[in-house]
Amino acid sequence: MTGGQELKVLKGLDCHIKEGEMVAIMGSSGSGKSTMLNILGLLDSFDEGEYLLAGNSMDRLTENSAAKYRSKFLGFVFQSFNLINFKSAQENVALPLYYQGVQRKERNKIALEYLKKVGLLDWADHLPNQLSGGQKQRVAIARALVAKPKVILADEPTGALDSKTSEEVMKLLREINSEGITMVIVTHESDIAELCDRTIHLRDGQIVD
Amino acid sequence: MFNRDTWLEIAHTVLSHPLRTALTGISIALGVFILVVMQGLGFGLQNGVKAQFADDAVNSVWVKAGNTQLAYKGNQANRRIIMRQNDVDALYNEMDTIYASTRRIRMWGISMEYGKKAGSFPIRGVDPDHQELENTKLISGRYISEHDVEVGTKVAVLGQTIIDELYNGEDPVGTQLLMNGILFTVVGHFNDPASRWENNMAYTPYSTAKKLFRSGRDQVDQIILGTGDMPIPATMTLTDRLQSWFKDRKSVHPEDQRGIWFDNNNEEYKRYQDIFVGIELFIWGLGFLTLLAGAVGVANILAIAVKERTKEIGVRKALGASSMSVVGLVVQEALSLMIVSGSLGLVLGVGILEIVSPMIDHEYFKNPQVDFRIALIALGVLVVVGVASGIGPALRAVRIKPVEALRDE
Repeated sequence: MTGGQELKVLKGLDCHIKEGEMVAIMGSSGSGKSTMLNILGLLDSFDEGEYLLAGNSMDRLTENSAAKYRSKFLGFVFQSFNLINFKSAQENVALPLYYQGVQRKERNKIALEYLKKVGLLDWADHLPNQLSGGQKQRVAIARALVAKPKVILADEPTGALDSKTSEEVMKLLREINSEGITMVIVTHESDIAELCDRTIHLRDGQIVD
Repeated sequence: MFNRDTWLEIAHTVLSHPLRTALTGISIALGVFILVVMQGLGFGLQNGVKAQFADDAVNSVWVKAGNTQLAYKGNQANRRIIMRQNDVDALYNEMDTIYASTRRIRMWGISMEYGKKAGSFPIRGVDPDHQELENTKLISGRYISEHDVEVGTKVAVLGQTIIDELYNGEDPVGTQLLMNGILFTVVGHFNDPASRWENNMAYTPYSTAKKLFRSGRDQVDQIILGTGDMPIPATMTLTDRLQSWFKDRKSVHPEDQRGIWFDNNNEEYKRYQDIFVGIELFIWGLGFLTLLAGAVGVANILAIAVKERTKEIGVRKALGASSMSVVGLVVQEALSLMIVSGSLGLVLGVGILEIVSPMIDHEYFKNPQVDFRIALIALGVLVVVGVASGIGPALRAVRIKPVEALRDE
């Protein structure tokens, strides 16, 4: 990623996120912050304007090339974790590697490394419903990291967690960011936004201040 | 797409949803099981019916005389036609080749006595070829010979029913039997389970029967001509030719159905073949519908499963799954379920038939078996149905947008 992303979304958004930055996107519900994140994450398409990801135009991607870019550049962390509930923590973390064609043994090894990184090595064999909310989110973060993305997109990553757990999760995200991974966090909590380098405020689909 | 990892992934998905898997699997296994068992039973029925009519599977032409229906050449209708010895000779003469032939006459209610037992049975006077033409199976002794017919010996070949009623387990061959007060030597014993009617009969030489029970009257009830391995169309032509020739000889109207009556069991044989085809069509139709019902069930379950997995598929897509891999996941899952549970149903059905088959021996039901060809066809149909029923839900799964799938309620 050579310089981050240039955005011109929603109602004339123009924004550049630099490599290695940790940015919060704030706004009340309906402000368009989720839409912006979905477009950044290539989960949704846009009608007008331009989106450059690592210097590549993301205009009119086919489903398959979007999938390729997602798997190469992007990692996702969701508010409701979105772990696959019949797979163990380790298998959940290994899933992105499966879609990259990494061999089973290799990807299980890598998955364990990342579980260790988020402090859940001992929970590798547990199913999601045997984990607490904070643990689930840490598994989700490990899963987002395992494919070595350039950018992590987090949609309300602390929205379902209590404040103590939220703090831990933010600390973890900060650590990851310090290793050079760009972090985009959508939140409506200002104390979460304060933990980031920069905050983009959205209102009615426009950037304010 | 078809590597070990993909299969492990599918195995994992399938085994993680025991209820869904069980429901789908059972509906397929049941479908195939019913199909196989129906096929087996159908074949059993077919084999049974075939054995029943094996009797009439001998290529032959039957000639009978009766009362005319139509007035012809100055004769009124309802005239009695009688076949005489000179007619028989002329008829034999008219055929190029005779593979086998017999005259026969039948008498009802002949009283038979052996020791202290007595009964009343019909007898037939026949020529030696009658054995081949009626497909009579001897248990012991011998049949009527040329010599018997020439000389008019007083010998008899008895059917199983007569022996059961008069002989009390004793070997009848060589015994002396009184028939209407005349002493006959029993030379043979036959049993034809396929025709219980014939089992009531005692066969005697044609000449003997004519002399002793018909007072020497020159009247042949029936003629049976064997046509050997002559093909069906040729037999048909021959029958038609002989029929018009014979009707002309006896001054019977060509359209008269009763005065002279010709029949060949090629026609009957064909009729039975048609019945067999009918049975087979019925079985296949039923099997097809069973499989179809199974397939609809499976497609239904898969559709529900995909809906249930909307979120999972959305996550997979967010994590880099391509459309192909999603289609593959759903279709391969359907396919493996189909094949595994289908084979299970197949093995179960074949197993049941194997176990039950030796126990059943009804006269219209024999050897219920499924041949390997049908098993293969059933599996092939399954694979096609598996792919077809997986494709719809798979396309639905591809259309799932990760955004919508992952949106929190």
